Amino acid sequence: MPKMQDRSRNIGAFVPAGDDDLLICRCEEITKGEIRRAVHDGMFTLTEIRRYLRTGMGLCQGQTCGRLVKGIVARELGISPAELEPAVSRVPMRPIEMKVFGSETEAEGHA
Amino acid sequence: MKRYDLIVVGAGPAGLSAAIEAAQCGLNTVVFDENANPGGQLFKQVHKFFGSKEHKAKVRGFRIGSELLAEAQKLGIEVVLKATVVGLFPDKEITVRVDDTIRHYKGDTIVVATGAAENVVPFPGWTLPGVIGAGAAQTMMNLQGIVPGKKILMLGSGNVGLVVSYQLMQVGCEVLALVDAAPKIGGYGVHASKLARMGVPFYVSHTIMKAEGTDHVTGVTIGEVDKDWKIVHGTERHFDVDTICMAVGLSPMAQLFKMAGCQMEDSALKSGYVPVCNEYGETSIPGVFAAGDVSGVEEASSAMLEGRMASVAAAEYLGFITKAELAEKARKLKGALQSLREGMFAVENRDKILDKTEEGYDISKHLLKTGFFLEEELAKYPGVTKQNGIHAVIECSQNIPCNPCQDACPKGCIQIGAKITSLPVMDEGKTCNGCGLCVVSCSGQAIFLVNEEYEDGYASVTMPYEILPLPARGDKGWALDRSGEKVCQAEVVSVKTAPAFDHTHLLTIKVPQDMAMKARFFKGGSFYA
Repeated sequence: MPKMQDRSRNIGAFVPAGDDDLLICRCEEITKGEIRRAVHDGMFTLTEIRRYLRTGMGLCQGQTCGRLVKGIVARELGISPAELEPAVSRVPMRPIEMKVFGSETEAEGHA
Repeated sequence: MKRYDLIVVGAGPAGLSAAIEAAQCGLNTVVFDENANPGGQLFKQVHKFFGSKEHKAKVRGFRIGSELLAEAQKLGIEVVLKATVVGLFPDKEITVRVDDTIRHYKGDTIVVATGAAENVVPFPGWTLPGVIGAGAAQTMMNLQGIVPGKKILMLGSGNVGLVVSYQLMQVGCEVLALVDAAPKIGGYGVHASKLARMGVPFYVSHTIMKAEGTDHVTGVTIGEVDKDWKIVHGTERHFDVDTICMAVGLSPMAQLFKMAGCQMEDSALKSGYVPVCNEYGETSIPGVFAAGDVSGVEEASSAMLEGRMASVAAAEYLGFITKAELAEKARKLKGALQSLREGMFAVENRDKILDKTEEGYDISKHLLKTGFFLEEELAKYPGVTKQNGIHAVIECSQNIPCNPCQDACPKGCIQIGAKITSLPVMDEGKTCNGCGLCVVSCSGQAIFLVNEEYEDGYASVTMPYEILPLPARGDKGWALDRSGEKVCQAEVVSVKTAPAFDHTHLLTIKVPQDMAMKARFFKGGSFYA
């Protein structure tokens, strides 16, 4: 079983750090401390972190913070960031209003 | 649903090159791009490119963009702008947002060339207005005609940080410092030297501790980092700045591949999360290709070659060309790509501190820390020779894939040889006539003409000059050395401009004879005090 999915693994207690109030996800205003705490709350994957805290759910869709969140979570888990699967990529990959997303039109020159 | 032989996502250097190659092979091709203008990053790039002459080296990036566009238009390639590809599916279908609708297209093959996005470094105050990406600064300056700020600190000394800092100086900003946490300058020494001789200080092994200000940036504090990346107490240094630019690397924007179900890998060498590709850039889904930065961050010249590579493979996949034709085309492209990927800036040398060039010359450690050479170090390089009368001095010390200087000299004084990363060698048996063509053709602005016998007691130094307003003949000012220090008074004795120079002017100054090998820049009226 990959290390990151081993829920029984003891990652130690949450230790507050001086830079915990540093903003990491600008769109959703999530701090480094909140992300570190989330790991200690049991959120071991980036998808879980995203659902729990909404990091990467804002306008930039994780383009800015994704790499930072990954690094923070990996460090907290004591693993390499490369071992962490990035959060899911879904359609639409850019933020779109629902009315646009729902408005499907035949491409011009329909063949 | 509309169908194409090839759908290209992204109209940057890789995407446009892919479309051009595909159209030449006969594929019915469309290009989608979310921006209002095609060209990707090319139109922001006002500096002359490095690389081989056959692949548009010494041409400014935005001109390469125009050339690619003209070529695409001539071939009748459909380029759909303000069209955001929001989905890629395993059966090579895409969904595109155009205006307020979602449209479906199907490609028999797909080349995704979506490029990369800038990384950030968080520090207290990094979300203040005034903290921007170097790419944003470049967009403001070169596309929108806005000066991003007055006093700027640049974080990151890779080529992006160096090139954008130079452009900021060109538009009249003051770059107070270039800061990098690494122990050496990351980008080309020649780019760093351009800044050093304008007086920009480099702080390697330093990082930003905090940005100051309440509603916008008013200052910044940097500090030295030790080998564990911790700030060394007592090394803090403050700068009054209104803008902090970050040029701390790029991450591929590969989400489309992930959503399509391509096999992915997290690769430090490729700068992030990228699809696993074969030699043609084909992903684990047959007929779906990656080209350019999205498949691993490099630069525009290799992106163009990768785009072509993907398209010839796509053409063969669909039967437009034979296996033999593919092999022949791929062989040429691979050779060109390989040559761009050699030298001391090759991926495998990233983060390494090398001691010698490929030829065995000592690499200046001083240059890597400060952006300038010590005079005694320079004398060893094969491009730095001493002759009577006017002659070129090539201050080129790194194995960079670049060769325009070799062809620029009508007298054949400069030789690089077959290997594009080799250092230029001056042939002392041939006589330089001082035409200056090498000076303007050097993308790194590292060639100077020196004449120690200009006048009794005086030498002349001719330098590439790209700062406006241009000094005029007769202007008096200061000669600056490679570190930007004033070394003596200087008088402009000639300013040459020609369409072929492409806005790099030849500025010749007169300095006391003993300053011939010291004076490397002129402080004119335009250049801030």
